[in-house]
Amino acid sequence: MLKLEDLTKSFEATTVLDNISLDLESGETTVILGPSGSGKSTLLRCLNLLETPQSGTLFIEGDLVEFGGKLTDEQVRTIRKHSAMVFQSFNLFPHYTALQNVALAPVLNGKMNKKDANKLASDLLDKVGLGAKKDSYPDNLSGGQQQRVAIARALAVSPDYLLFDEPTSALDPELEAEVIGVLIDLAREKRSLVVVTHNMAFAQKVADRIVFLEGGHVLYNGRPEGFFSSTNERIRRFLNIFETV
Amino acid sequence: MNRYIELWIESLPQLLEAMVKVTLPLTLIAFVLSLLIGILATVMRTRSNVNPLNWISRFYVWVFRGTPLLVQLFLIFYGLPRLGITLDTWTAAIITLSLNTGAYVAETFRASVASIPRGQFEAARTLNFTKMQTLTKVVIPQAVRIALPPLGNDLIDLVKGTALVSTISLVDLFQSGRQVAARTYEPLAMYLEVAFLYLIIVTILSWGQRYLEKRSSRYVRSANA
Ligand SMILES: Nc1ncnc2c1ncn2[C@@H]1O[C@H](COP(=O)(O)OP(=O)(O)O)[C@@H](O)[C@H]1O
Ligand SMILES: [Mg+2]
Repeated sequence: MLKLEDLTKSFEATTVLDNISLDLESGETTVILGPSGSGKSTLLRCLNLLETPQSGTLFIEGDLVEFGGKLTDEQVRTIRKHSAMVFQSFNLFPHYTALQNVALAPVLNGKMNKKDANKLASDLLDKVGLGAKKDSYPDNLSGGQQQRVAIARALAVSPDYLLFDEPTSALDPELEAEVIGVLIDLAREKRSLVVVTHNMAFAQKVADRIVFLEGGHVLYNGRPEGFFSSTNERIRRFLNIFETV
Repeated sequence: MNRYIELWIESLPQLLEAMVKVTLPLTLIAFVLSLLIGILATVMRTRSNVNPLNWISRFYVWVFRGTPLLVQLFLIFYGLPRLGITLDTWTAAIITLSLNTGAYVAETFRASVASIPRGQFEAARTLNFTKMQTLTKVVIPQAVRIALPPLGNDLIDLVKGTALVSTISLVDLFQSGRQVAARTYEPLAMYLEVAFLYLIIVTILSWGQRYLEKRSSRYVRSANA
């Protein structure tokens, strides 16, 4: 269970998230939609404390944090361990192999010894279809393969919520399909996913919930059917961009 | 020509001795110290929450990169005694060369860390690495690879810079060649020999540098190293 209350985030004078409240159920796939600059990335990054909101509360799987003062390292780590981010630009560690990229965090987090972590990493790479690429360095992998390694790396810390910030925006269509395939598998397993994407087919077919942001406000929060048949003028205008090919 | 060859052979032991006893150890000791200074200056500068440390580090780099090595050497060897600090030639040479090269090394390290993409730090944060883990597992391994070529240049500059210690009467490779030139009245032959010996040192160091660069770039596909 993930709950945001009155979350506000601003960069200097500009308010990017304006008093946002949101409830996300465990096991659901939430897709965050919205025009460029509407605050999607910022919202996602706040969940993982890559950004620190100015005010509001975040409640995630039994841990609560109130924003306003300076957070301690301990607070940040406690909240952060509930989620893991997959970035648009993959951000794999270039000096480690695929397997090492995935196995590193469980060891450094003190959750496993090296042997168990390697076993886990190996299983996760099999799961994302990269069993044959375990010893490859990121630079020798395609973008789609790199992103699948990044997903395995995020899974390795066993987060309650997996956060994806435009995971396929840097990819060609056929590579996008292989990454979306992995996301669909994860959604079927009832993992809790929060996905910022422009892939409308994914939003329509896979999402349990759509959150539509504009100008730092939530304009829609609910089932995908309601969203795609919405008569709200802002939402229609947004959807029209994707329909006119 | 025969006279030159005879001269070269005859003077070689003396020049090699000066090289092995002064130029090489001076280079080696000063380089190791300059690496330590460089690390210290970089840490002081990047952990910039303590402002005076940051400031001292910048000031140090500014002064030692901004003034000639020769001037620094004279200040430390001839100038400091006026403040009651008298150093012997070796100590003065090592301190000056280390501080001078250290300033360049600090810049090399700072630029290397700065060139690591932001996404690397964000990946480390989302995986809940501690600051120390991020430093040792993510930043340093990548920074070292980026730093190797400029560090190699810093080292090569240091080798050539050691020739200046002849001005505070240390008998290094250059000074030794100068002595032979004065004795034999053959400056062309002698300085050619001296230049050739520096060239050999630098060439060997460049091979070592290239080897290290290759080793540390195994993971980069398009490395034209
Ligand atoms: N680190 C930052 N500093 C200043 N402004 C930022 C920063 N990050 C995002 N912004 C601003 O916040 C707004 C929302 O950005 P973002 O969350 O990235 O939107 P989206 O992901 O929906 O495109 C934009 O106007 C952007 O310029
Ligand atoms: Mg974005």
